[in-house]
Amino acid sequence: MDATLHKQSFWSKYIFSTDHKVIGMQYAIMGIIMAGVGGFLAYVFRYNLAYPNASIPLFGHLSATQYNAFVTCHGMIMVFWVGMPVLLSALGNLLIPLMIGTDDMAFPTVNMLSFWIFFLSAVVLLASFFVPGGAFGGGWTMYPPFSAGGYVNHNPHFFTALFSGVSLMILAVALELVAMLMGGINFVVTTINKRTKGMTAFRVPIVVWFINIASVIFMFSVGPLVAGAFMLLFDNILGTGFYDPARGGDPMLWEHLFWFFGHPEVYVLLLPALGVLAEILPVFARKPLFGYKPIIYMALVSAVLSVLVWAHHQFVAGIDPRMATFFSIGTILISIPFAGIFLSFMATLWKGSIKFSVPMMWVLGFIGLFLIGGLTGLFLGSNTFDIYAHDTYFVVAHFHYTLFPDIFFGFFAAIYYWFPKFTGKSLNAGLGKLHFWLTFFAFNVTWFVLFFNGLAGQHRRINDYSDFSLIMREPYITFEKIATISAIILILSQFIFLYNLFTSLAKAKKGVKNPWESNTLEWVADSPPPHGNFQTYPVVYHGPYEYSLPGEGADFLPQNVQGKNDTNNVTQNNYEHKTATSFATHK
Amino acid sequence: MNIFPENVSTYGQEIDNLFWLIFAFVAIAFVISLFVLLYPLIKYNRKAAPKAEYITGEKRKHFKWVVVALVLLLGSDFVILYCEHDAWGQIESVPAKADVKVGIIARQWNWIFVYPGPDGILNTADDVIVDDMNSSLHVPINKNVVFELRSQDVIHSFFLANARFKQDVLPGRTVVRWFNLTKEGKYDISCTQICGVLHSKMRNFVMVESEDKYKHYIDSLYTANGRKTAMK
Amino acid sequence: MSTKQQHLSLPINKVPEGRLGMWVLIAGELVIFGGLIATYLQYRLRYPQWSEMAAHTSTLIGAINTVVLLCSSYTIVRAHEAAQHRDIPKVLTWMTCTIAGGLIFLVDKSIEYYHEISEGFTFTSPHLQQAGDHVNSLFWSFYYIMTGLHGTHVLVGIIVMFIIMMQVRKGKNLHRVELAGMYWHMVDLIWIFLFPLLYIAK
Repeated sequence: MDATLHKQSFWSKYIFSTDHKVIGMQYAIMGIIMAGVGGFLAYVFRYNLAYPNASIPLFGHLSATQYNAFVTCHGMIMVFWVGMPVLLSALGNLLIPLMIGTDDMAFPTVNMLSFWIFFLSAVVLLASFFVPGGAFGGGWTMYPPFSAGGYVNHNPHFFTALFSGVSLMILAVALELVAMLMGGINFVVTTINKRTKGMTAFRVPIVVWFINIASVIFMFSVGPLVAGAFMLLFDNILGTGFYDPARGGDPMLWEHLFWFFGHPEVYVLLLPALGVLAEILPVFARKPLFGYKPIIYMALVSAVLSVLVWAHHQFVAGIDPRMATFFSIGTILISIPFAGIFLSFMATLWKGSIKFSVPMMWVLGFIGLFLIGGLTGLFLGSNTFDIYAHDTYFVVAHFHYTLFPDIFFGFFAAIYYWFPKFTGKSLNAGLGKLHFWLTFFAFNVTWFVLFFNGLAGQHRRINDYSDFSLIMREPYITFEKIATISAIILILSQFIFLYNLFTSLAKAKKGVKNPWESNTLEWVADSPPPHGNFQTYPVVYHGPYEYSLPGEGADFLPQNVQGKNDTNNVTQNNYEHKTATSFATHK
Repeated sequence: MNIFPENVSTYGQEIDNLFWLIFAFVAIAFVISLFVLLYPLIKYNRKAAPKAEYITGEKRKHFKWVVVALVLLLGSDFVILYCEHDAWGQIESVPAKADVKVGIIARQWNWIFVYPGPDGILNTADDVIVDDMNSSLHVPINKNVVFELRSQDVIHSFFLANARFKQDVLPGRTVVRWFNLTKEGKYDISCTQICGVLHSKMRNFVMVESEDKYKHYIDSLYTANGRKTAMK
Repeated sequence: MSTKQQHLSLPINKVPEGRLGMWVLIAGELVIFGGLIATYLQYRLRYPQWSEMAAHTSTLIGAINTVVLLCSSYTIVRAHEAAQHRDIPKVLTWMTCTIAGGLIFLVDKSIEYYHEISEGFTFTSPHLQQAGDHVNSLFWSFYYIMTGLHGTHVLVGIIVMFIIMMQVRKGKNLHRVELAGMYWHMVDLIWIFLFPLLYIAK
């Protein structure tokens, strides 16, 4: 086995690798690249909003068609090509095998295939910018019949309809969903099956639990949309009428299929990031996670509820008004487990010994911002106030206050925390703190003012507000400018991170095994972990958050170290003893 | 400074009140949560508290604090739900007494207004249609205006910020809603569901007028435009 | 390497990985078809005139296909049984039967499609569309997307089983026969739902 390992070519080691760490890195790098694209789009249309009709530096003039396409693709990219790969796939791949103490994923080849399908989907999406007519500009929700008119309105030929912005976007989304499905199967099977000796269900770190719950939510909500996406594609390229009322269909069908997936998707993005928080908080508070089991139960409850709330996106869409109350109650109920998880996180801080390291700052910033995001959700969960606020900047500001900390703060916390593990080097803490403060302030300024624009009646996805007297007045014009300038600062401050990343990567390896004095199993492996991860598979004696346990010498007790209170009861979890050789050759 | 645009509808005030009610709950929750988050950062930082206490939070006496907070949150959620319920029914269901009936048709990219003809019944051959960018929907002041919303092509959304009213318009469906506007003036109607290139130009007006002026306008429509065939 | 082997501790391993993965895959597939079927039902209840269109499908061929699929499910069970006893010739025989069943299904389906298409009922049914009968043309869109997706699964199953047969012939990967069987049962199960919905409810 070793002999073949060392003979790996560049291609099989870094490109078509089946190693979970390489695949995780590929997902993370792809996510960062796509975040660059999404961020650039945001810069362009934000600039246009503050200075309509001005020539935009690095871009030029932005037409209305381009504006719509950019807004649409910004949303698409940030959710499906940044949030999903970075939070679910990258974290899942990098962390799950290491944290449960095994060598690789259950199906390494499927894993590799998953990434390359994802890569293909990104290429298809980016290609849609360059087809005649440009990328699709009907909102990331792709509501038909606007998104279903390709065949009827413009392209009565199969190939012109296929190579149109809308068809390519549907195809890209469908491919991306398939890639994530393959990854999700891998996560669930790996976690159920490949845990090391003693790693019982309630000794598994929260992040692994949450990535699995997210994968399951994803799998059970995405199916109808996969079928629905193909129906939409056929409406476009073949001229069927699934969603077009002029051809017998009903656009409401798509709204249901989309949001049946679209709302659980929010939790798919949220849960892995919450998992990151749960890993980092105890380490820098030197205190066990507050309520490990209740947190898991609350996440499971939220998973069940997540598929019952989708229609709160459709309060004003013309659904039966009596249904709205049902979905309002569902929305209220699902806020409870998530509030409970956040409260448990905050309770972890009490009576701890808090160290303000860079990952910890991102975590605390996350909680602070999400507080605003979550509480503003209360306004929107009320179906009556939603009549006014729906599709205004109030909604946009609300979901940026949830998704931005979720995707970016969660990701940066993870990067600053696990970077030493996966590279054997460390990021510059000073630059990390500068990066954090700039991001934190710039983000707050950008989005806080826009709550007021939303309440003033500013509606979304408009490239030019000159016709609307309610918006074209002070202070809302100034607010737009403030938001834009601060959004530019927000984007520019990410270059600090990139600079930090590249200079740190250029440094020599230190290979410190456990710089944060953490308990979970990934810190038992070498930094960076070799192919196969562990020299010997660790044995687990207790849960992952045993910090400041009285009676122990150090203030942390790694999972593979037997504490004074731990009985040596690990063998009862061994159901089947494979021979060592058969396990080792299983690759 | 009022953070909302001027309210001109009978039910708009209820939405504004609802906002401030929720705001009160949210503000309290925000202040408490911020305290719970920030206080330990000062009190229990590494310098002030070099040694952490071992609390797993799984014991009942610890976790009850989370439960208490959640019960409070759930309680205030249901208070909000209870308070908003009447307003929802009021806005989303049409009153028995309709003083004026009009048709509003969305299309790429303007709103079309359909007034009943001299027979006073909507959706008959003598309906008068006003189809123009920048045109206004004329309605009398302090009257229940019931309107039928339809779309000719894609999904649009009828938004009258000053009335706090919004309704998506899906092709293939007719949605009947109402408002009663209480102040004379000209207010923006916008489309809040992205509907194509000129989505941002899809703006018409509601013109709220006195009864006399409104009658005069309708009469002028009958004479000036003659009789047009109704929209399908 | 040898020291590593000595110190290897062993993972918890209750269910074989392949079987577990297949269960998860099946769950995902069922949700896809579930969404499609729920959508179809919603339209079917809205448009009673679809029963006229459903009358154009051939219940006989549908029934024959149902029997064929059920039989092929039986044969794959026998193949699995043989695989457990490592009886390779028997495995190959029973799997050939299953593949034959799948092929018969596809041939039947093609004959049926041929008749329907020659009557003008295609994916978009242009003659219905031109006559302004969009609602009924939508029935055929649903018919083709549902049976088409199912047929694709049958085809994929046949190809995968063929590949597994090649491996089994060399005495490798006998446990994969079971996985093929699980997949094939799922394909069968979905058909049991499609058959009454598209062929019987007239």
